[in-house]
Amino acid sequence: MLGNKRDRAGVSGRQTDEALRLVKVSKSYGEGESAVRALDGVSLSLARGTFTAVMGPSGSGKTTLLQCAAGLERPDSGIVMVAGEEMSQGSEAQLTKFRRRRIGFVFQQYNLLPTLTVAQNTILPLKLAGRRIDKAKARAVLEQVGLGGRLRHRPDELSGGQRQRVAIARALVTEPTVVFADEPTGALDIRSARDVLRLLQEAVRVHGRTVVMVTHDPVAASYADSVVFLADGRIAGHMERPTVDAVAERLAHLGDELNGSDHASPLGV
Amino acid sequence: MFALAMRSIRQRPGRFTATLFSSFLGALIIMTFNSMHDTAAGPGVDDRSAETLTVAASVVGGYGSLLVFFAVASTLTVAVRQRSEEIQLLRTSGATPAQIKRMIVGEAFVVALLGASLAVVPAMFGGQLLLDVFQDSGQVAGSVEHSFGAIAFATGFDITLLAAVGAAFLAVRRAGRANGKRPGRARNFFACAALVAGALSLSATFLLDSDAEIMMAPPAYGAILLSVGCALLSTRILPGVLSVLEGPVTALAGAGGYLTVRNMRQRAAQLSNVLMPLILFTGMAVATLYMQGVENDAVKASGLVKDADAKTLETLNYAVVGIIVAFCCIMLINTLYAATSYRVREFGQQRLAGATPQQVLAMVGAESAVLTVTGVALGSLTGFAGVLAFTSVRTDQVLPGQGLGIWLAVAGIATAVTVGTSMGTAWRRLRTPAVDAVAVAA
Repeated sequence: MLGNKRDRAGVSGRQTDEALRLVKVSKSYGEGESAVRALDGVSLSLARGTFTAVMGPSGSGKTTLLQCAAGLERPDSGIVMVAGEEMSQGSEAQLTKFRRRRIGFVFQQYNLLPTLTVAQNTILPLKLAGRRIDKAKARAVLEQVGLGGRLRHRPDELSGGQRQRVAIARALVTEPTVVFADEPTGALDIRSARDVLRLLQEAVRVHGRTVVMVTHDPVAASYADSVVFLADGRIAGHMERPTVDAVAERLAHLGDELNGSDHASPLGV
Repeated sequence: MFALAMRSIRQRPGRFTATLFSSFLGALIIMTFNSMHDTAAGPGVDDRSAETLTVAASVVGGYGSLLVFFAVASTLTVAVRQRSEEIQLLRTSGATPAQIKRMIVGEAFVVALLGASLAVVPAMFGGQLLLDVFQDSGQVAGSVEHSFGAIAFATGFDITLLAAVGAAFLAVRRAGRANGKRPGRARNFFACAALVAGALSLSATFLLDSDAEIMMAPPAYGAILLSVGCALLSTRILPGVLSVLEGPVTALAGAGGYLTVRNMRQRAAQLSNVLMPLILFTGMAVATLYMQGVENDAVKASGLVKDADAKTLETLNYAVVGIIVAFCCIMLINTLYAATSYRVREFGQQRLAGATPQQVLAMVGAESAVLTVTGVALGSLTGFAGVLAFTSVRTDQVLPGQGLGIWLAVAGIATAVTVGTSMGTAWRRLRTPAVDAVAVAA
């Protein structure tokens, strides 16, 4: 599974069963009186090979949680550990190198490079990391997401769903411990969204990845093994084996609780 | 739609800085030199003073104006191209192509008008300064009063506005096309037209007497037109250059170099807009500086002017030519800054895909290096074409006796400015966190 010796030495934490751990992570935006506490001492532990959805009303801090956990934002305080190793607090270059071996991303807006072909986009993380490029494997990953016949196309020649599948292939090709997905189906139609969610499920069930997905859609959340609810920057509950109805109801309930505590600013879903 | 244009200018003045700056500077140059026409036409100006002023205005002012035209046009093209997403958004909100065209062209008009208006007062002082220099060197009688009149005013506004509006019109037509798959037949036409006109202008040099006062004009026009033609053709030339340089670039810049090569292949059309000011700078600097050198030597050799006077004349001419070269250099910096700033989102996407800031910088550096090699090579070609034509008519030699010093200096400055501006701007833009950088235009 691992390409060379450097790989093995670099990821000693692979023995742990914990893919992601957050300890009292806090993050505020702005300063003084106008400061907004986006995350308020969030602790979380996710086992390897799990598919977790993070849900909550707008402004509940779910995107901030994902970005802090993925090393795209630096938390004000608290610890983030991926595959048993603490995320470095060094330069951006150090953080990038930390992410390369452990983390993959899928964004709502795909973030594929428009000047590269499907195949080139997929192997880009390997190129950047200076890793050996196994073309056969890259092709296999692209075939797995159903794009084996479109290797030479550019992103602007693909539909939204196809682009997102390229993004998933790109996230999986480095064999990361955790794949973070930020509203991956937010810009897609129902059919493409279902394909994308099934691919994320497959990444967990077949390939043993750990997927953390931020979403506001109960249908998307129902594909996950469990759901973590956030409200006001804090964890407001868990749900195992979620169903669409149960998630929707819990979300509505979350809104009620918030309305009860703060009449000034009712929050919808 | 014009109201929308005004609002978009007021809401986001930052986006128009590059355009405003280039039209301001362009109008300033044109007005400064062309006010010499007005001054020469003033009452009580003796013949010799009038002649010096008219020659300066028509030679330097003439090719300077042509240069300004293309410099402003290239900045405008870069600026409009950067707004393709906004144009797309307007189209989906129900704007017709004609409305979009009116908006973009209207904006360009207003910004260029503002730039030219801002340039009026500085150009009055600039003209005064230029006249002082002529008077100090004894070329113009001390009694001549500077006058800023109709010619300076009209040419300054006309050329700046024409360049801005024309370029905006062409650029929006390209951006507005649903999917610009058809690689511009118009571009090829303009490129060939510029090359033919340049060649004709160069040949015109041979029709002149070897000591005609306006001898420098045709080769300078020729060099500018050839430079523009080469810049337009660079969409064809770049892939060739890339296939030669792919090996060294990838070897030196690693994964950054890999991105450079792929990026540049795809973005050849955009890059040719950045190449335009680079080729113009190199071509103009080489052409004017060498020609001035040859001219100075010829004057000295003819013995018509006393040594001391020859020295003053030399300084004067270099000062005048220096203004034009400095203008080209500033326009180059302006364009590179605007083009690189715009790429903040692309940099963000690369960083999210696992590129370190150093790798992004390496990519930008490699890209500037390829651009520099191409631009300096083409610019030297067009510049020396002008120089050879001039030298062979002005003297009985073909090659100028100036040596390679000037060329090395010009190439050095072009390299430093291109690589420095691109990498400096990229480095500053990399301070934006990657997630925010990607969100900017999303």
